[in-house]
Amino acid sequence: MLNEVKEAITAPLEVAKAMGITLKQFLRGPVTNQFPDEPAQVYPRFRGRHALKRYENGLERCIGCALCAAACPTECIYVEAAENTDEDRRSPGERYAKIYDINMLRCIFCGYCAEACPTEAVVLEHDFTLAEYDRWDAVYSKEQLLEPNNPEYLVVRDDEVFVKADTWSSK
Amino acid sequence: MSDQVTLTIDGKTVTVPKGTLIVEAAKQIEQEIPVFCYHGKLSQVGMCRMCLVEVGTPMFDRATREPVLDENGVQKIGFFPKPMTACTTPVSEGMVVKVDSGAALDDRKAVLEFLLTSHPLDCPVCDKGGECPLQDLTMKHGSGISRFNYEEKQHFPKKYPLGDLIVLDMERCVICTRCIRFQSEIAHDPVLAIENRGRHAHIVSYSDPPFDSHYSGNATDVCPVGALTTKDFRFGARSWEMKNVPSICNHCGVGCNTVLGTRKGGSGTGQLKRVMPRQNETVNELWICDKGRFGHHFNESPNRLTTPLIRQDGQLVESTWADVLPFIGEKISSIKSANGSTALGGIAGARLSNEDLYLFQKLFRQIIGSNNIDHRVGLNANFEDTTAYTVGVGVGTDLSQVGKGSTILVIGSDLDQEAPILYIRVAGASVKRSAHVINIGGRRTKLDAQAQTSAYYQYGTASYLVLGILASVVAQGLVNQEWIDRHATGFSEITKLLQDFAPDSVADTTGVSSAEIEAIAKSYAEAENGIIIFGHEAGNDPALGAAIEALAAVTGHAGKPNNGVIAVLPHANSRGAADMGVVPNRLLGYLPLEGEAGLSAEQMLSGNSIKGMIIAGADPASESDTYRECLQNLDFLVVQDLFLTETAQLADVVLPAKAVAERDGTFTNLERRVQTFDVGIDSPLLAWSDWLILAAIAGQLGADWGYASADGVMAEITQEVPLYQNMAFENLVAPVSLDRQTDHYIYEGMSFTADVHEGIQWATVAENEQQKITLQLVVPENHTGSDEITLVTPRILYDGGRLLAETDVVQSHVFQTRALLSSVDAKKLGLNNGDSVTISQNGTAVNLPIQISRMLNEGTILIPRNIEGRPAERLVGSSDVHASVKVKKS
Repeated sequence: MLNEVKEAITAPLEVAKAMGITLKQFLRGPVTNQFPDEPAQVYPRFRGRHALKRYENGLERCIGCALCAAACPTECIYVEAAENTDEDRRSPGERYAKIYDINMLRCIFCGYCAEACPTEAVVLEHDFTLAEYDRWDAVYSKEQLLEPNNPEYLVVRDDEVFVKADTWSSK
Repeated sequence: MSDQVTLTIDGKTVTVPKGTLIVEAAKQIEQEIPVFCYHGKLSQVGMCRMCLVEVGTPMFDRATREPVLDENGVQKIGFFPKPMTACTTPVSEGMVVKVDSGAALDDRKAVLEFLLTSHPLDCPVCDKGGECPLQDLTMKHGSGISRFNYEEKQHFPKKYPLGDLIVLDMERCVICTRCIRFQSEIAHDPVLAIENRGRHAHIVSYSDPPFDSHYSGNATDVCPVGALTTKDFRFGARSWEMKNVPSICNHCGVGCNTVLGTRKGGSGTGQLKRVMPRQNETVNELWICDKGRFGHHFNESPNRLTTPLIRQDGQLVESTWADVLPFIGEKISSIKSANGSTALGGIAGARLSNEDLYLFQKLFRQIIGSNNIDHRVGLNANFEDTTAYTVGVGVGTDLSQVGKGSTILVIGSDLDQEAPILYIRVAGASVKRSAHVINIGGRRTKLDAQAQTSAYYQYGTASYLVLGILASVVAQGLVNQEWIDRHATGFSEITKLLQDFAPDSVADTTGVSSAEIEAIAKSYAEAENGIIIFGHEAGNDPALGAAIEALAAVTGHAGKPNNGVIAVLPHANSRGAADMGVVPNRLLGYLPLEGEAGLSAEQMLSGNSIKGMIIAGADPASESDTYRECLQNLDFLVVQDLFLTETAQLADVVLPAKAVAERDGTFTNLERRVQTFDVGIDSPLLAWSDWLILAAIAGQLGADWGYASADGVMAEITQEVPLYQNMAFENLVAPVSLDRQTDHYIYEGMSFTADVHEGIQWATVAENEQQKITLQLVVPENHTGSDEITLVTPRILYDGGRLLAETDVVQSHVFQTRALLSSVDAKKLGLNNGDSVTISQNGTAVNLPIQISRMLNEGTILIPRNIEGRPAERLVGSSDVHASVKVKKS
């Protein structure tokens, strides 16, 4: 008896509350990103297309050590090393990557390669528009990867929330 | 006291022979003690201090020698106050060793911190990375941080060429001296040393040219860090990226077990990145020579044949298998019907595998019906051996075990040049294990320094000398009558003949005194184990083979392990070619040929009875102008090879073959060990294995052989050749993959063992109780001494062979065409280094620059065989070894 009375009072209130939310969302406007007409927003730590970095003096950071290929769980990286000469110097030390291929179809963008890199040469940047008409075009060569790719259609958000590790564990 | 010692290592009890080192005892119970400078094959120096352990021994009262007991009545253990090096401390009874105790772990951590004070830590770019003891042990035992000042790191040049094959990075070196000890103790080329002291110490090479050794590559294997690396592999691949394929070296007859480090490239084709040895104690221990290690670049040469070629309007043009095979069949059939089957002949190089050679003789004997087949061209030409069939070294022979009480008789072979790993093993038997090595030759060779006895005969008299030794054995009553009764017949007949060859009577001819001959005979006959190793410089005399066979038999040094004869044949499968009967006068498996013998290679190539030939893996045209002319006049010539050789350029059809690394098969080595090699890399798209080519030609001639693979051919060989009945592929290969073994490269210097592919030896007649050896002697040809200079033509390691010519990295080692002359003769003729001389013999004259050599005796001039321009072959012909020549200044 008591429950029924209670229900009769609360039910309309609940309905009104739900309708309130619906009404609020109805008035809020669309969240759909009109990509590619409008730029997409990504967080700074979003992992997209790789890039090979250079030092400020233009020398390649990559030393062709192939630790990225060793760390890669999908074996999508192929590196062949060669030796720098004084006439043809590509990187600061003795060794540079003669071939550096990444197969973007195989890559799962886990970022282990960047983590393994001893010279911070390979990093995952934000570009995710990697569709191709030909499978072979998805294998990015070293020349492509060395070209920085900061497309206009991407906006990096600056409101990323960093959660400290210890706050995670305490929860 | 017993010879066994029981000790406790980290609570585990182990019993080992007296004198064992702690590190070896620990290995037996799989308690790994980390080492850098220790290597089982080298002397112990205790330099790196990595193996520090706590060692205690049972306590005894000093005055009474009574055991000191604790309260429980157990003898107390007294620990040494300082840690001990496990690699130099031998075990003792009751010893207690703590490997994983706190103090020992701290010591090792500290040692590593010291070793790394100047290490560049450039593991990402180091070729050793991934298989580096320093890297592994640092991960396991190191402290992770260093307290040393980064600014004070010692710096050396990064890429210092220690030799032209080896690169030194001194910053990585931990001064363990493994390389130095390898060079002086194993290779007997003491060319490396340490210069300076303390933090300025560095490795130098004192030889000229630097690092002048046939074994320099092994120094990179034993190096426990990345200080020594090979020039050709530099940055080639990371060690974990390679697939390691077991193979057999194809450069000489020793049959060293190797590993092909192969890598699939970006385009999917396999690349051969490096060749490393595979441990097989009975063949090559842990070593391979530099020719085997660096001489593999011919595989990727742009000069390789890639498609079949056919001659059209005088030019060789590219064709297809579908076009050339019917053409070959048609031409061979037409020659056969027009001129008879004896107008067809074949030469197969002894580089081919057993399967190829078997099908080669089957094609000729069964399908074509001709006995005109031979493998004896090129380096094989003057050397045929059947002694291995009767008195070859016994099954189970292991030269690394031959030691005290054994005599090794080396006759007419410069092992360091002809079979380098055999040299290492013979020299090791002498120096490390006190075997009596007697080196007999016409000139001084490198082995003289390690041999206890050396004797020099006049060239051409080796058979007299062996007969003299044999006569002396009989005269001194050192004959093993019991063995002769069991295994041989004809002993009484040969003793009669031997009366003419008493040491006194051959001393003058040979130039070896009768006392020396008697001493050699005594040492060899009385030895517990006797091995005879003979090579091509002893001559091409049937008397020699017969005398050596009789010498091994009458002394009973045959038919059991570590006894018998090894002939130092030149090519990877010269032994197999003889086994497979690729000779005109004998069938496969040394069975006698019924009916008329065919023509030998020399007869085929000098006469005009042959109209059509198939030449597989041989290049006779390069050897002599007569051969070339003969090949030009043939109606039809098929050549199957890797390159467009001079012979191939004369051919009507050239067929591209696969190289060893690109196919599977078997080789039989000098000790008659049949070993398999696997497919490592991809071949040029249209190249076929030689056996497949031969099967296809047979198919065109109406045969239906239906072999699907090389092991299918071997299956048939096991049926057809009793000697090879156990050699089926499944017996030769165990299904184990070649994984890198971490503990193995820490202790031995490289990762691979031959638990797989160990090979099987076939048994000689002497080991067969049912068969008897018929002793026979041949009277040698009369030797007439000459006042002229003797030209000798030995084989050398870095010759002008095609496979080496296609390998850039060793070009600086390849013998530059010249003649070596003794200093006495040079003085007489008024010659200096580099002067040009005219060497003439029977109307043939050759102009060569000379180099004065102190290794040669007076009256000898030396020109190696198979070098650029082939001057040796032109002067002495392809089947002789030496000749009297006139030398004058030109």
